[in-house]
This record gives sequence, structure tokens and C-alpha cells, in this order.
Amino acid sequence: MSGTILVTLYRDEVAPRFDLASEVLLVTVNDEGHEMRRQELVLAHASADDLCDLILDREVSVVITGGMEDEHYHYLRWKRLDVLDGVAGLAEDALSRHLRGELRSGDILFPRGGHG
Amino acid sequence: MDSTLATLAPLASPFLGLAASGLNRADLPRILRDLPFGVAVVDLERRTLMLNAALERLTGFASDEAAGVPCRHILRGSFCQHQCPPLCCAKTGESPCRATSREGTLINRHRRKIHVRLTSVPVLDAEGAHVCTLEVIEDLTPLKELEARLTRTAGPGAIVGRCPAMEHLLRIMPAVAQSDAAVLLTGESGTGKDLLAEALHRASPRTRESFVRVNATPMPEALLDVELFGQAGGAEGEAPRPGKFQLAQNGTIYLSEIADMPLAQQGRLLRLLDEKAVTPAGGDRPMRLNVRVLAATARDPEGLVEAGLLREDLFHRLNAVRLHLPPVRERGEDVQFLLTHFLGVYTTKFRKQLLGFTQEALALLSAYDYPGNVRELRNMVEYAVMVCPGDMIGTEHLPPQVHFPASPRGEPEGGAPRGKHPHGKRGTA
Repeated sequence: MSGTILVTLYRDEVAPRFDLASEVLLVTVNDEGHEMRRQELVLAHASADDLCDLILDREVSVVITGGMEDEHYHYLRWKRLDVLDGVAGLAEDALSRHLRGELRSGDILFPRGGHG
Repeated sequence: MDSTLATLAPLASPFLGLAASGLNRADLPRILRDLPFGVAVVDLERRTLMLNAALERLTGFASDEAAGVPCRHILRGSFCQHQCPPLCCAKTGESPCRATSREGTLINRHRRKIHVRLTSVPVLDAEGAHVCTLEVIEDLTPLKELEARLTRTAGPGAIVGRCPAMEHLLRIMPAVAQSDAAVLLTGESGTGKDLLAEALHRASPRTRESFVRVNATPMPEALLDVELFGQAGGAEGEAPRPGKFQLAQNGTIYLSEIADMPLAQQGRLLRLLDEKAVTPAGGDRPMRLNVRVLAATARDPEGLVEAGLLREDLFHRLNAVRLHLPPVRERGEDVQFLLTHFLGVYTTKFRKQLLGFTQEALALLSAYDYPGNVRELRNMVEYAVMVCPGDMIGTEHLPPQVHFPASPRGEPEGGAPRGKHPHGKRGTA
């Protein structure tokens, strides 16, 4: 469980798109899954390639993000990272679910329905 | 992190306004279901109410699972975060009353990026109050593919030739493209320097980044400085202006006639090549740049150095790799090959069924020495294909200059060879 988790941000949500994220949350957790360090980074500009560089540079082990292109997904998987993409929801919600081992790629965490 | 209203507000009864305006909420899905383009119905809080079948296919989301989710997480459009018109209207306090369109991309559930045009159509009730928005999405993939095919002029395959000089060039081109070295392209006007520069970029690892072409046209040096190297932000909050070099960051910059660049800018270019950094006009902090430089000249570069038009140190720096494009008159058997090549290109473009050239036309075209080089040869074939009504291009379909070649500088036909021959020398392959 220990390692660094990166969540791409759009306001307080997981960024809908990996390549357009201009803010990220980096959370380092220990073996018990307790949060040791938290850092929010504002990126100079949104770029999927630059974000991949940052992820490798910071030795991130898990990426939680929204929609992501195949190319970047497979690149990060090839670099042996866990990539939970297609996640739609509040960033904190996604993070806590991941720490409980309940988050999967494609999970929609927003309340649904509404045809009321 | 600031809060997102859309995610915190309680879910309202979304079709209430529609019902009040006389429309039955059950009608909408039925009306929209079989439309050939994608439609999402979005409430005032930008939450998805439904997707029609076309949009379900495009996004990979079923309408039921998308219901209630902010539309930016379903459409995942490049326009969702910063150019969303309803959000822009909300900021300015205006009520959206007109449909607005913009192009962009979306990434669907299958991780595929799709070019789309999104038209947001506000639905208003009888009193003119905004009830909901129809987000109409057209898949532009076929159009983008066609556009890319038509505009792709400079793939590595666009440079053709079978003479030894061209074969050598084509053989070394992939290796040159893969390196990051500066390249000096030489050759007369019309030989394909621009095409070769773009082909080098396309075949290089920088292909996904920008290719910026710079024409150092005569302009005041201060202006050219800003144009090339950008301007730092002013003290009164003026936005910094990126120059061509900043626009080419991570990509390739192509200086189409290096000798047209004033010596002062040549000095700055030299520093850029050495230090990989540039200081924008009016700024004091250098900015790191990662740009590959390709430069070209139609003149003899050694002659330009002698004439003082090209800095010797810059010449040696650019001359790390030098690629020379021979003029057509030195490409021998390539003339017929190029004629056949462009015949194929233009018969396809003009949808004609031409078989080739008559012997007389071929003799005339082979004897011509093409001062405008490949560009002139290509234009001649285009003209001939355009005007030829039959299946063979004859002499009568060729432009007049082939029949009556103009003598250079009033010299009699058969005199000195034509074309640009810098410093009295003919270029070598």
C-alpha cells in the first residue's frame, strides 16, 4: 500500500481529462495506508507528456484520473504504475476509496439518477 | 481546491421546467433517440439528464449511468473546463439565448480521442427562462482524416527521386531526422527545401510537437527581435508575448532563408544554439528552450560568409549537417520519374483517366531545363492534366514556356544555363 498517489484535479474533483489537468494532488502513504505527506502542485501548463514525466520523476505508484488516452495509459502501465482512469467524482472521495481498496477504473462516484 | 457548485447542490427535478412549458419529459428521449448525431440533455447545473443512442456509442456511457453526473465527466471535452458557454454566461450573469458551436476533442470511455464539434443549444420556456441545454455533438473524425490526408504534403514519402544524389539524401534522411543536430539545407529555389525541412520534422521524435517556419522578412530589428525571441511581460501587467522560438518549444524551428536574418539576430541565434536559452526582448531572465533548428538558403553559404551576410561562427554551427537538394537539370533521369510521379498525383486529384505523355511532349519536357526546379515541373504537370481532355498529354497541353523557353538576361537560346547559380557556380549534387 505504501507509495505516492497522484490525483489529477479540476477544482475539488478528479480532473475529467488527464491531458487537460493543470493541478495535481500528491499524497504519500505508509504501509498501513496512513497519509504521511500531502502536496498540491499547480502545473505550468496542461500536457499529458509533461504529466507523465512528473509522475515518473516523483516516483508515483498510483495515478487516479479521469479520461485518458490509450497511449498514455499503456505507457504508465508499461512503467508498472497502477492507473485508475475514467474516475468521475470528488478527489477526496476517490482518494479515500482507493485507500480502502474500493476504487476501480471507470468508477462514477457522483450521485446518480436525477430523472426525478 | 475550491468547491464545485454542481457537485454540492441537491439534485433538482430536472424536467420540471420542460413540463411547465408544455413538453412532456417522456417525449425528449423518444425525440432524440434516433438522431444521427450525439445529443446530451444537460440541466442548469451542468448535470447530464440523458444521452441519445448516438452519444452513447460515441462516449461509451449508457444514458442511465450518466444521469446526474456533471456533463464534463461524461463528454470529457477539451472545451469543458475553460470554454463551456453556459458556465461563461453564468460568470457574466447573462442568460444563454443563442446556440454556440466550437470544435475540440473528447476522450471516450475506450480511451480514444475523438475530434468533435459541440453545439450548445439552450432550451427556453415560454417566458424565455433557461430550462436546460441540448449539447449536440458531431463526430468530425472522417473530416479530420480527410483534412490530414489532403494537407499532409511533407511526409518522408513526399520527397521522391531516383538519381544518385536524391537516393543518397533519402538514405541518410531518417538518421538525420532522428538526431537533434542543427541542419543546413541548401539548394536552388523550388528544389524542395521547405518540404525536406518539414519531412525531417515529421520523421523526427519531435513530430508531435510544433513545426514553426520563420521567414526573416525585412522589418525593423527591434520588431524582428520580438517576433523571433518574444517579449517579456511589462511592468503594468502586460502579458508576455511568445516569439517564434517559444512557439516551437519542444519542436522544430525552420529558418527559411538564413541570410535574410540581420547579423544581430544571427548572433542571438548562435547563443541560443550554444546555451539552449533565450532572453525575450525587454526581459532580463533567460528562458530555457528545447528547439531543433533547421535553416535553409538558396544561395551558396560559403559565398554568404565571404560577403558578410552570414556569420561565420553561425555557419559552422548550422553546417553540422548539410543537405543539398540538386536542381532538376542535374537530376538527369529523374525528370521522367518526376513527370510520372506528378501525373499520378494530379490525375487522382482531378479524377482524370490519363495514361501518360506523348513522345513529342516527353521529348519537349525532357529537353527543358526547369529554372523553377521541381516546383515548376509540378506546376507544368498540374496545368497539363487540367487542360488535357483526352487520355494522353500532348505538346499542345503544355504551358507556353516549354515551347518558347525565355533566355536568361537576354542571352540567346543555347547560351549560359539558366536558373540561380550563386557566384557564377552551378550547384552540385
